Amino acid sequence: MPAETAREFEALEAQARTLMTTFIKAGHEAVAPAIIQPADIYLDVIGESVRARTYVFTDPDGDELCLRPDLTVPTCRLHIERHTAAEQKAKYCYNGAAFRFQPSGRDATHPREFRQAGIESFGAADHEKADAATLALVIEAVKAAGLGNFKLRIGDLGLFRALLAAADMPERWRKRLLHQFWRPEAFRTELKRLTVAPAGLAGSLPGRLIALIDPSKPQDAPRLLAKHMEENGIDLVGARTLAEITENLLVVAADVRAEPLSARTAQLLENYVGVVAPARAAGARLKDVVRSEGVDISAALDAYHRRLHLLAEMGVDVVHADFSAEFGRSLEYYTGFVFEIVSPELGQGSPLAGGGRYDGLLKMCGAASDQPAVGAAIHTERLLAAKRL
Amino acid sequence: MTERLQIALPSKGRLMEQTSELFAAAGLNVRKTGNERGYRGEIEGFDNVDVLFVSASEIAWYLKTGKAHLGVTGEDLVQEKISDYATRVVFLKKLGFGQADVVVAVPRCWIDVETLADIDAIAGRFREAHGRWFRVATKYLNLTRRHFSEKGFSDYRIVESLGATEGTPAAGTADFIVDITTTGATLAANGLKILADGVILKSQANLVASKAATWTPRHREAENELLRRLGA
Repeated sequence: MPAETAREFEALEAQARTLMTTFIKAGHEAVAPAIIQPADIYLDVIGESVRARTYVFTDPDGDELCLRPDLTVPTCRLHIERHTAAEQKAKYCYNGAAFRFQPSGRDATHPREFRQAGIESFGAADHEKADAATLALVIEAVKAAGLGNFKLRIGDLGLFRALLAAADMPERWRKRLLHQFWRPEAFRTELKRLTVAPAGLAGSLPGRLIALIDPSKPQDAPRLLAKHMEENGIDLVGARTLAEITENLLVVAADVRAEPLSARTAQLLENYVGVVAPARAAGARLKDVVRSEGVDISAALDAYHRRLHLLAEMGVDVVHADFSAEFGRSLEYYTGFVFEIVSPELGQGSPLAGGGRYDGLLKMCGAASDQPAVGAAIHTERLLAAKRL
Repeated sequence: MTERLQIALPSKGRLMEQTSELFAAAGLNVRKTGNERGYRGEIEGFDNVDVLFVSASEIAWYLKTGKAHLGVTGEDLVQEKISDYATRVVFLKKLGFGQADVVVAVPRCWIDVETLADIDAIAGRFREAHGRWFRVATKYLNLTRRHFSEKGFSDYRIVESLGATEGTPAAGTADFIVDITTTGATLAANGLKILADGVILKSQANLVASKAATWTPRHREAENELLRRLGA
């Protein structure tokens, strides 16, 4: 890969000035979080999978550090440093380098060092309004930077959460399905298992012990577990306590005895996941999907429509936007509205910008509780490339 | 690059002994050149082959960079040290020694866990109770990451461990491990069990060719003759 030329650098800087001017004019404060971040934070917040794409290193003191793979987590940390309670309303913007190892090789639109220009909005109580304002501002910025032709894709994880909450099943199954939502294959397997044979959840666990444990008599479980361990010469090793193991065995025992998930509920979830439609029509489609099953997710649907309405008011062309119920699956920390700006030339594999709502991230970064948060980042090298194509 | 074929062989331990036995049985007499403690050698009757004696993990690096045309090393090391091994090397022949499994092992007292999916199911609650993800001790960082990511498991942290990995759960530095095992006895002695779906790789010593090395017709000629003798 050729070294970056001075001219390329200047073109990116000029573009960044336009983007940042747009953000600042809209009331976002420009910040510059640290490039070197503690590796811990990323690994704890986003999980180990990110490490495979992050430049992690050890400094002479033996501390594990990384080159930031994005600017959202560093901006969250900066916000918490400034306001320990993190409840303060704030709007930030940034333009800076981020670094990602590219396992399938580097090229112009997948560089290992790239500049992200973005915005984050924390603490806004009106979620749909903040969602719409974030997307509208990013679109305004890429247009100001000279992008003419692009496609908008949206999704809404809030709808799936609402659907799951309204569907008839034990709470622990909702958690399992939500946990697996990010992995389509595992999600389908889980759904099938719950429908056909929840008893299969016990797998190769000791059947005799599971059969002895009665979920309605949790007080007996510790004694049964202790006896099983003694008889089999098993010592307690490691950080998990007997209480934790017992608690989970009770969950397994409850699953073994549970009525399977109804085929209709499973079908409903499958149907939902499969919805792909123009943004405006999607609401009606979703309504049809759930109505036949008597499930009520009208609050989440109202929020979806209100957001579209606000976006249209702010001048965003929602008529040509595409909705996909599955969209957002690969990004584990999003909790609600998600979007991507795609150029027809670079395609869906290389979005020019993306963002969404992530109400849990500030807490994961150290805030005392969940805080409303929505943001977006522009991949500036791709934006530049798309304008030239 | 030299016109002489470079073959990297293990420089110490059981792997070195078994490699020499294998070569000797094929009528290939490997001997060191110069100093008895040196790291270079030759094969009798092959005037176009250099032998490089290096550690098994370094052999993987020699193959990756093309410093050696051929090498004898464990499949586990190749998969661990070369992230895109399928494009960099070719496995020519399993050699029937150096067998070891890379496995996921958890404390036996985890009565409620038999598969990776079981760990996945309890990861969230563990985090709530302990304020951190599960820690996995291993020296196989890449193999572990690749395997877990294929299985869709992401709620863990790796703690790099360069020795006595099987003792880390009892010591409290990790919750479970990914390590190499031959009989499983060491794992059992440390109160650990292998998951039902816990075998990541059944490894053994392999004769491996580098795609990164420069191959001339003379190199190929030497390779063919060596392979013919080794029955590969």
